[in-house]
Amino acid sequence: MITVNNRDQLEWSPNMTVQDVLNHMGHTYSLITVTVNDKLVEDEDYDSFVVPDHAFVSVFHLAHGG
Amino acid sequence: METKKIPLTINGIETTVVKGTTLLNAINKLNIDIPTLCHHKDLTPNGSCRLCMCEISMDGKKELVTSCNYPITHSITVETENEKVKKHRKNLSLMYLGRYPNVPVIKDLAKRCEAYDANLFKSEITEESTNACILCGRCVRACEEFIQEKILSFAGRGINRHLTMPFNEVDPHCVGCTSCAYVCPTGAIQIVDQMNNPANPELIRNHGMKVNAEMANLDPYQCRMREVGTANIVEVMDKYDLLPVHNYKFGQHVDTPKIDSKVMKNHYFTQGHPDQCWHGCSMACAKAVDGFKLKTGPYKGHKVCVDGPEYETAGGCSNMGCFDIDFVVEFNFYCDTYGIDTISMGTTMAFVMEAFEAGVITTKDTNGLKLNFGACNEVLTCLHQLSQGEGFGVEVGQGVKFLKEKWSKQKPQFKNFLYDIGMEAKGLEYSEYMCKESLAQQAGYTLALKGPQHDEAWLIFMDMVNNQIPSFEDKAEALYYFPLFRTWFGLQGLCKIVWNDVSPADNKKHPPQQAAKIPEHVDNYWKFFEGMTGIKLDEEKMLNQSARVHNLQKIIGLMLGRNKLIDDIPPYRAVGPVTKEEYTSRSERYDKELKEKIGIDPTPLSIEEKMQKIREYRMHQYHKVMQAAFKRRGWDEFGIPKIERLKELGIDRPEFIQILEKARQEAREQN
Repeated sequence: MITVNNRDQLEWSPNMTVQDVLNHMGHTYSLITVTVNDKLVEDEDYDSFVVPDHAFVSVFHLAHGG
Repeated sequence: METKKIPLTINGIETTVVKGTTLLNAINKLNIDIPTLCHHKDLTPNGSCRLCMCEISMDGKKELVTSCNYPITHSITVETENEKVKKHRKNLSLMYLGRYPNVPVIKDLAKRCEAYDANLFKSEITEESTNACILCGRCVRACEEFIQEKILSFAGRGINRHLTMPFNEVDPHCVGCTSCAYVCPTGAIQIVDQMNNPANPELIRNHGMKVNAEMANLDPYQCRMREVGTANIVEVMDKYDLLPVHNYKFGQHVDTPKIDSKVMKNHYFTQGHPDQCWHGCSMACAKAVDGFKLKTGPYKGHKVCVDGPEYETAGGCSNMGCFDIDFVVEFNFYCDTYGIDTISMGTTMAFVMEAFEAGVITTKDTNGLKLNFGACNEVLTCLHQLSQGEGFGVEVGQGVKFLKEKWSKQKPQFKNFLYDIGMEAKGLEYSEYMCKESLAQQAGYTLALKGPQHDEAWLIFMDMVNNQIPSFEDKAEALYYFPLFRTWFGLQGLCKIVWNDVSPADNKKHPPQQAAKIPEHVDNYWKFFEGMTGIKLDEEKMLNQSARVHNLQKIIGLMLGRNKLIDDIPPYRAVGPVTKEEYTSRSERYDKELKEKIGIDPTPLSIEEKMQKIREYRMHQYHKVMQAAFKRRGWDEFGIPKIERLKELGIDRPEFIQILEKARQEAREQN
């Protein structure tokens, strides 16, 4: 199990990437910053960075608009 | 899984880069210096100066390539300084030196490439000036890429090639963005400042250019403001369950793609050039639809130009359940033409539609109009009636507050329902964000002194999606900073859009609380202010400028008998589910809230009982965040500024204190 934004629980699976987490959460926003256990993950690594079990994932959406 | 990283070797050093990275960027990443003239970090590379040439080896084959515009797609070996490359650069440098012998960047380049004889390749035309144009073309590209114009271009051939404007005259389309001067490596283009006597025009220009560069390089991958303007938010809000639908009952709808930015871009927007709403701004977020044939109203059959639609207009239409793009554009046009705010009209009509569907009002009340959600033609009829001062439109034009008070008197059995669903505060209709799942957004809207307008309410993502302001104190701090920052824009007459509708590439280096402020862009605004006034700003000084006005607004409101505690309480629709269908649409969320946050097992409860428990809890939470926000603002429990706060801000005039103490006494008696 991993924790997203210190609130949502997500079932962990082997080789789960950051992109898998974003897909599962439905996070399609263009201005996103992701950290896994407080480590910043660059955009180009979303589909290769493997999220470990029990990880704390932060998906920070930068507000815009209106 | 296919990797995006490509291994390569540069001067014997092994490294990896993201596929598609230019060779020059890969070289620079290793801090290897190679000369360039036409290259600029903020412009699309074009390889015209040929100085960045390197030799690459791939599959046993060697070739010279210009590194600035060579995208790395396969593993290669690179040499940046072998004899062949050095000879090539030296010859080029000699030719540059032969034509521009006194230009500092050329002299530096020649020295770097060991090219010393200016007469070896002497040009037929020698430019003796120290700031001669070297025809690098940066300015031409900057004009097109930064500002989407083609004010500058080359004319002539061979040695007669030169830079010019159309017909050799100053082009009226030039918006004065100064991009050309910013990228010019020699100083051949210089800006003459003649406007408003700014204290430091260079400071303004330099920071404005940062915005221009970000727009050119980052906006296409971020918010697409140049492409579709604020309409990009339609699909974002729908995706995140925040788009108001059916008078804020719901946050998304299956028909949203019919009115989203893709539809507007593909079939409607015809204008997207800088309209100079902010002189020199390269964002060009204003969009327009040309040749739109109207189907109703006094201009029926006319082909017109429509300014928009922007997000809030589309959001107003989704709120009315009107997912017809032709309707959105026509609604936009007639609201503009009649001088009516699309937000207030959309929110008011959504309220009317819900009241109609709930049976609170009937066709007897609407002069025969069947105002169900999605009744596009009837909305336009109301709009035209409003402009003519006739029919039911006259009542609609007076807004939600008027309607709910009137209908509550006529039909008191519906009073509670009408006050729950009437989305206004302080007499102003809510703007188009569905806020019931974000406590901070509810307070941002409702505690805004002018009413729930979106420019002071900014916390929906920080709170609801990111969960980055979990405590009441966190929310109160955000409710202090962001509304005052937004107020500050208004005070200075500066546009908000370039604050956070484009974000610096390295904004991720900041922790989330800081990143949300976009520190580099806040600094841009401080530099604009300093450049105009000569006065340096910091966060405290900036916020206090706003806080003075904010507190004065509050004092004036109290003097007029407004801005009381009751005015800071939202209609319940802004806080939680009013109807069973709303509860059912998010029952998993609400049942979880009952169980985990309130400590009640929802299983044996009826929907009505569950709704009541949720309501009590959420309103209690709202009151707590409201009090936390009051405290942070330096106000008392009635939301009235304390005298100490006025002293801090230097606005403790006796007449103001008298107004506050009178209001405080009345509040104590009433609450």
